[in-house]
Amino acid sequence: MADARAAMDGDRTLAYATLAPSFFLLVLLAAVPTVTVFATAMQDVGMGDMSGPYVGFENFAWALESQAFYTALWNTFVWVFGSVAIEMIFGLGLALLLNKTFLFRGVARAVILAPYLVPTVVAVLVWRYMFHDIVGIINAGLITVGVIDKPLLWLNSQSLAMTSVILVGVWKFFPFVVIALLGILQSIPQEQYEAAKIDGASGFQQFWRITLPYVMPVFLLTALLRTIWSFHKFEIIYLMTGGGPLDATTTLPILVYLKAFSDFEFGRGAAVAILTFTILIVFLGLYFLLIKRAEAHQ
Amino acid sequence: MTSATLSIATAPDRPRRNHELADVHHLASRMMVYLLAFTAVSVVGFPLFWMVLCSFKPGGELYATPPSFLPREWTLQNYRDLFVQTNFPTYFANSLIVAGGATVLSLVIGGLGAYSLSRFKFFGIAAFSNAALICYMLPEVLIVLPLYIYVVKLGLADTLIALIIANTAFTLPLALWFMRSYFNAIPVSLEESAMIDGCTRLQAMYKVTVPLALPGIISVGVFAFNHAWNEFLFALVFTSSERNKTLPLGLATWIGQDNIYSWGMLLAGAVLVTIPVVLFYLLVQRKLVVGLSDGGAKGE
Repeated sequence: MADARAAMDGDRTLAYATLAPSFFLLVLLAAVPTVTVFATAMQDVGMGDMSGPYVGFENFAWALESQAFYTALWNTFVWVFGSVAIEMIFGLGLALLLNKTFLFRGVARAVILAPYLVPTVVAVLVWRYMFHDIVGIINAGLITVGVIDKPLLWLNSQSLAMTSVILVGVWKFFPFVVIALLGILQSIPQEQYEAAKIDGASGFQQFWRITLPYVMPVFLLTALLRTIWSFHKFEIIYLMTGGGPLDATTTLPILVYLKAFSDFEFGRGAAVAILTFTILIVFLGLYFLLIKRAEAHQ
Repeated sequence: MTSATLSIATAPDRPRRNHELADVHHLASRMMVYLLAFTAVSVVGFPLFWMVLCSFKPGGELYATPPSFLPREWTLQNYRDLFVQTNFPTYFANSLIVAGGATVLSLVIGGLGAYSLSRFKFFGIAAFSNAALICYMLPEVLIVLPLYIYVVKLGLADTLIALIIANTAFTLPLALWFMRSYFNAIPVSLEESAMIDGCTRLQAMYKVTVPLALPGIISVGVFAFNHAWNEFLFALVFTSSERNKTLPLGLATWIGQDNIYSWGMLLAGAVLVTIPVVLFYLLVQRKLVVGLSDGGAKGE
């Protein structure tokens, strides 16, 4: 494409004019806010005119000394690694299953992808109805089967809330893993399996020696992408529990929101947001490193 | 998979017996596939199935313990109540305006930008593409704080315009990346011959490149629409009045108050919010699966 581009080179005005709206929108709505959030983090900003006295790194110091921050950090790790690990395992399993040919495979695929497509608010709504301690089908079902003898407070107990939220998160987001892995599974050259069969490789050996190595780069990238996205996921947790009960499901993004828009301490909220972003940058760096390596391999 | 394991492990000396065994085993593994597929579909599909089912149950059945599985009495009462007793129609209209506006803006702005990135060669082009990708990775919760401050200062708080612009900014990076790759796939020579026939470059783009890239453009549009249709955080932070709420925000405010609004109406609302998404999915099914898996593989 480089040659073709060079051939069209010359109409500089048009080139800049067509790119300008995108450029300005991204600068104004992504780059500038990313910079100004630092200014906010260094002020004691309350409601009203949205600015306040300069306080230096006081808001950061507050965050790093507060129990709330470390609890949120721990909750974030539990949420991210809990949900990503389960998503990857189920995602791989179901991708392998959907890669086989069977009747109604198209229907099965559509049903399995559906949770990823429904709006988060819809997912939350139906799961909250199912988790409901009195009218919910989950408690009713477990009582009927005899696993429990009285209703469990899925979303309102300190010990169960995070597990319940992770369950909903996995249900909502694992189809992404299925789609990503199905794409790569379908591109494995069939001759490799034919050759392995002739050599007498068992099904497990074929999976271990051919499928897994082939899929691994995409598997890792997908896991990393899911990690990044789960890390700053806000609405699914906020809508399920609001971060509660107490702080049982308050992850870092929830803490940012609660500080800024519930306690109206914008400076502290901004400081937590920046600390969150700093951790995320490590993952982003890894992501781009992996992409570059994958591109170099091709 | 497992059929191979067994036939090799037992390795009987008579080939015919081997054949029969392999057949039996083949059948067993086929049944296993169907069993697993059935289980997966039932478990994954149940919540949405349950949502649709319960949205047709009358109030009494929704609160019955233990709950009935199939509605004993099918009713449209929940849907009727939704339109008569709540602001659902307002929310729906607001969501259409926000999602429609953001889609048009992303396509026009992103389409022009993608054309430039695809067809011209100039300083900083790679840096810009990468920067756009990084923007897509920025946490919403980091951006929402300063944006809220701007929105308040500009007097745009509690308006749909603020939501349209914020949603456009978030879908723009992907619109740029995807449309650039669609444009890249279309030979420049087609445009050049149109220009020899007397078109200006913009006309050539509009008359030749855009129609050819249309399937890709449509799938970007569907993505943008879906994103804005589902968006919650900006709506939550920017909106304060009832008349400017979008669907996700409107439904979310009811969830907490299940004493006042019945679950029936909420579930009916959830079904109606999902319908446009399903329609769009059917429209671009193949494109979407291909696009998403490309995204997973290449990080675009």
